[in-house]
Amino acid sequence: MASVSEMYDVTWEEMRDKLRKWREENHRNSEQIVDVGEELINEHASKLGDDVWIIYEQVMIAALDCSRDDLAWTCLQELKKQFPGSQRVKRLGGMRLEALEKYEDAGKQYDSILQEDPTNTAARKRKISILKAQGKNSDAIGELNEYLELFVGDQEAWHELSDLYINEHNYGKAAFCLEELMMSNPHNHLYCEQYAEVKYTQGGLENLELSRKYFAQALKLNNRNMRALFGLYMSASHIAASPKVNAAMKKANVKYAAWAANQINRAYQLAGRGTKENKCSVKAVEEMLESMQITMS
Amino acid sequence: MTIKLTTQAYCKMLLHAAKYPHCAVNGLLVAEKQEKKKDSITTPVLCVDCIPLFHGTLALAPMLEVALTLIDTWCKENKYLIAGYYQANERTKDVRPNQVAEKVASRIAENFNEAAIIMVDNTIFSMGCYEPILAIYDHHENKWNRRDCNVDCFEDWGEAQKITSALLEGRSYESLIDFDNHLDDLRNDWTNPEINKSVLDLC
Repeated sequence: MASVSEMYDVTWEEMRDKLRKWREENHRNSEQIVDVGEELINEHASKLGDDVWIIYEQVMIAALDCSRDDLAWTCLQELKKQFPGSQRVKRLGGMRLEALEKYEDAGKQYDSILQEDPTNTAARKRKISILKAQGKNSDAIGELNEYLELFVGDQEAWHELSDLYINEHNYGKAAFCLEELMMSNPHNHLYCEQYAEVKYTQGGLENLELSRKYFAQALKLNNRNMRALFGLYMSASHIAASPKVNAAMKKANVKYAAWAANQINRAYQLAGRGTKENKCSVKAVEEMLESMQITMS
Repeated sequence: MTIKLTTQAYCKMLLHAAKYPHCAVNGLLVAEKQEKKKDSITTPVLCVDCIPLFHGTLALAPMLEVALTLIDTWCKENKYLIAGYYQANERTKDVRPNQVAEKVASRIAENFNEAAIIMVDNTIFSMGCYEPILAIYDHHENKWNRRDCNVDCFEDWGEAQKITSALLEGRSYESLIDFDNHLDDLRNDWTNPEINKSVLDLC
């Protein structure tokens, strides 16, 4: 079995830098992290300096994702030796118990962290994750709401709550969570676009109009966001086709939809340049847009 | 009405689920359009291909509508029709179709009476693929009822098992493109011609 450094012709420094990039960008490409990280730890641990500890943590979590309990155990032992009594390491121990589906033991581990330090947000969030893993979505939502009353600025938590609400089809509350995120991140086009999707799914003329506005806002923040472009097209088309709108509004939305369709076609032309296969999807998009125009008028 | 799967359709479904083990995934199954037969013998619907759609949040409407419309147009060009919907849930032990699955399948059933829901059974999903890991649901009397899935649901189970296992071991799922990937970068091709070629090469 060839090593990563042989297969991709990289040095250990490049492997270490790749791991840092994945860590900073919060990627969940666990199989790759395990491949690269395991080799780095086994062959080059001495050269990593103090970086080795954070790499142990990263590789351990990835190993849990890949059911590599052997690797996770090794990393955990090294961390326990280096940082005895650390709450951060204790939490990793709890995560390992979760991966082995020993939820009660994991819960006890987190409770003991919280007894020492009631403000430990990581342990509280892991307890909520246990509820989610057990399928107890309403309990998870309840606990997460309580958590957010205390830790109002925790963006990861707001996003998790919005996902939980979406899965329970409670789009109104999901929209509220996304509004919190948009307020604290006004330049983030992804929150805008997801908010627009939730409003669209909620349905009704008012929500469709809001959704169109937020798709437009997302496009303003990032004019390459294809979901926002498609969303603008779909929402404007639906508004124009609705029997409840007056002539002026219908005319305006037909204009917006036509503009969006034009942009979509251009984007596909640009992407399809040079490849024979993509030409079929360019054609399919053109036809789709044409067929929707017919239903609109 | 029985539904049968080709190796290509089964493979790509499992590769999609394997690419995103921590997310729910879903997609569509397409079958070749057949002329109406006069005899009353019902031939099984053969799903020749699958189109992976989304991973992560499955319950939002706009992109799903875009995908359904676009794939419908593509199907018409290639004399296919959308015959079914598959989903693999986020949690291992969760194998039942949820509201999203039922809604999409009902939409498909508007154009194709015998639309089926196929749920991936995460509890028996393995690299070796020794048994079919699907649960097929048909619509009868306003409910979706589970039907047994065995080797008869495949055009050629032996081939499907061998090829799927080989592609999983070879980590082909890393290059699988779903509709979400396509929306991230339009150059990503959701028809997955390269994986189709790998399947053919292994046949």
